Amino acid sequence: MSELPPTTSLRRWLVTTNHKDVGIMYTITALFFLIFGGVMALLIRLQLWEPGAQILSGLAYNEAVTAHGLVMVFWFLSPLGFGLANYFVPLQIGADDLAFPRLNAVSYWLYVLSGVMFAISFFQGGTLSAGWTMYAPLNVPMYTPSIGSTGAILALAMFVASTTASTVNFLTSIHHSRAEGMGLMDMPMFTWSMLATVWMMLFAFAALLSVAVILLSDRVFGSLYFSATEGGSLLWGHLFWFFGHPEVYIVFFPALGVMLELFQTFSGRRLVGRKWAIIAICLISVQSFLVWMHHMFLTTINLEIKTLMMATTIGISLPFDLLVFALIYTLIKGRIQFTTPFLFALGALLLFILGGITGVFLGAIVLDYEFRGTYWVVAHFHYVMFGGATALFGGIYYWFPKVTGKMYDEFLGKVHFVVFFIGFNAVYFSMFLGWETPRRVFEYDPAFQTFHQIGTIGAFVLGGSFFIMFYNLAKSYLYGEEAGANPWDYTRTAEWAIPSPPPLENWDGRPSYASGKLEFVQDAVADGGHADGHGESHLDEYPYWDKHPSHASIWPFAFSVATLIFMIGLSGVRDSVSLSLGETLATTALSMSNPVYPVFAAVGPILMVWTAVRWGTEDFYAPPTAIAERWPFHGIEKVKLGMWFFLASDVIVFGAFISAAVFIRVNAGWMNWGPITEPLPGLINTFVLLTSSFTVILALVFARRENAKGLLASLGATILLSFTFLGIKAWEWHHEVYDKGVTLTQNPHGDPIQASIYYVTTGLHGFHVVIGVLIAGYLFVRAARGYYREDQRPLEYFGLYWHFVDIVWIFLFPLFYLF
Amino acid sequence: MASDSIKLYSLVYAGLVGLAALNYVLFEGGLDLAYDISFVGTMVIAVLKTALVVAFFMHLKWENRSLTYLMVLALVLTLLLMSAATYSIT
Repeated sequence: MSELPPTTSLRRWLVTTNHKDVGIMYTITALFFLIFGGVMALLIRLQLWEPGAQILSGLAYNEAVTAHGLVMVFWFLSPLGFGLANYFVPLQIGADDLAFPRLNAVSYWLYVLSGVMFAISFFQGGTLSAGWTMYAPLNVPMYTPSIGSTGAILALAMFVASTTASTVNFLTSIHHSRAEGMGLMDMPMFTWSMLATVWMMLFAFAALLSVAVILLSDRVFGSLYFSATEGGSLLWGHLFWFFGHPEVYIVFFPALGVMLELFQTFSGRRLVGRKWAIIAICLISVQSFLVWMHHMFLTTINLEIKTLMMATTIGISLPFDLLVFALIYTLIKGRIQFTTPFLFALGALLLFILGGITGVFLGAIVLDYEFRGTYWVVAHFHYVMFGGATALFGGIYYWFPKVTGKMYDEFLGKVHFVVFFIGFNAVYFSMFLGWETPRRVFEYDPAFQTFHQIGTIGAFVLGGSFFIMFYNLAKSYLYGEEAGANPWDYTRTAEWAIPSPPPLENWDGRPSYASGKLEFVQDAVADGGHADGHGESHLDEYPYWDKHPSHASIWPFAFSVATLIFMIGLSGVRDSVSLSLGETLATTALSMSNPVYPVFAAVGPILMVWTAVRWGTEDFYAPPTAIAERWPFHGIEKVKLGMWFFLASDVIVFGAFISAAVFIRVNAGWMNWGPITEPLPGLINTFVLLTSSFTVILALVFARRENAKGLLASLGATILLSFTFLGIKAWEWHHEVYDKGVTLTQNPHGDPIQASIYYVTTGLHGFHVVIGVLIAGYLFVRAARGYYREDQRPLEYFGLYWHFVDIVWIFLFPLFYLF
Repeated sequence: MASDSIKLYSLVYAGLVGLAALNYVLFEGGLDLAYDISFVGTMVIAVLKTALVVAFFMHLKWENRSLTYLMVLALVLTLLLMSAATYSIT
């Protein structure tokens, strides 16, 4: 462990794992991507100045449209919310930090470097040009052949890895580290919104991860999923929108949380109907997974399911009505202070109401036939997503004094709001007026030209308004008035009870709400040991009670750089390596035209493993919170809880792969397919995996009994069994390819897509086995060096992962070998 | 801890191996069962095996029930995706 350098040192920002530092970096990076996506938007608007203008070539225009959408949705909106959440959720729940500080740092670095990866994709023969929804088959290499297109999707996959890490982190933190006396219903509204956000993310982003991995397998290895005539395009629609609809709320909820917080502070009143607002938030989170096919009304899905989805869509607007009324009544009952943050929150509400109402039209099947693919849709979702995000700018102003200790300039803030609001409505309301313009196309009816010119002018006004904010914040940071601990008259949350900026470890004493209001308790701590008589019994199993918490680690950054190298390598590997299958393995040839990409693709994983091992062996201590509210997950150790959250998301990842297999097979006619593999090797592999699960559990038992030999023998057996599994798998693939002629793209005995599904799904499982072998090898070496005698948790948690991989095989075996 | 019994784990392991073999027999054992019966039987076996692994090897039996609900939620969402998507093309 190294000490955390001061904020003036660059090194500080590379090694920090502190949630406040990471929150600042998230926010600034997200604002950078606002400019990135904004430049794309301005290019689009310039092209639309007159119908069919050629400022950008047709392809460049498509790239700008795609990049604008992807950057704004993924690299700007969510991360801005997460920047604020990183800083303020731990403060609002009374925690010292997030549950896994290094995981939080790796979330950030994967995020920023995935953005770098996306930027690089512009220079790899052009980035993706298939629109942000990346519809199939536009997304396959036949239609988007550039290396940059693959690069953009790899960037997205890397971003999803980052969000998965932060999802697990936030869920664990909020469910494990709330201050004493803070029940779930007592949490501040911003934290509530974030909790709902991360719950949706846990499942939604898992679906996006699997659809991105399937697409990458199509693009990098050449599998046939999304070009399959057996429903490939429709499969993309289902998997993407199963993620995509919850994503709308994932993007909106952080802003909603800010809105709820700001309405209370600046009306001087507790939220009216607070309990019902929370129930509405929970309902929306559940309902968000029940409406996804309203994005697919113009596909060939049947009318029954369309009608059902129309009904559920109308249903999801109801809890939103409740939220809107709660916000309005809070204002009516309160005494409003028109500060800059409040203006942005109020503006967000107005814009969101308009966006929401225009969305109801799209939810009706018959109207959607007319509105689909027009600027009505474009205007609608900008009012919803960007309209919602307006509140996030309010959040930036609101919390700026807390983060910097300085007050922003109120006058400039108000000017920013006015210019922003006028620009916003000029650009997006003009879209409603010229709604018959086809979406994503720069050729349009000249009758709409005036609307588009107003829109273009509005876009520049809107974009320019942010420079007022940047100037205001920069000037105020340098020369602003001291803000003090709490510049607002009426606040309800804990971050205002500590100095601005807050100290590294947040609290002086332990925050507690046990008495009904916030107090800082000085626990009786004897000679640096832990407080006696409190806490849950399982915490006594922690062997490192007296250690000081760590705040610095370079490995999250290093691991992320290694990942970037791997991703860059993967993007071009298909264009620089060609594999020609011979009659046998011996005559199979691999030729390489450009060594750069393959070298990156080979070096990346090695560096990833090395940095992961250094991460694992680093002496980094994130202390467990001894006394905390944990409903409904009490009695579960922190890392174990995180592991289970991760497994829940992995259920969706594999579930989406299996769903894809089932979907395509039903489309092709279930009984038209039979197994392309022989069942016996599959059965043997089932036995091998089941046995390895048994040896893993034995390893844990031996470790608990302090039987070193037994521990090493069972871990060794696990590793050998894994290699046996992989060996049989390799033999099987060899048999398929060279004896039966079944390759990733060819199937002499039936539909080629069947071969793709078999290789990709079992390949993903095999990849999980390989990761398992690496971890088992690491544990074996550590066990041989005498670790895990006192603390067997790593063995137990590896076991959870390994058994899960075993369970996946329990379903893959019948699916590919018997059915 | 109840979960430390090698005897218990061995029994679970034996059960898993037996069920896996039964899986195979349903389809390849020359029983000449109707496809539907073999299919349903196989799925029942898969669910049983999963339950054994999760409950004993992954200790869910001894954990806070909320973790079970978490996994059930993930499973329900998977089944929702699979069934609704598949139904949409019928």
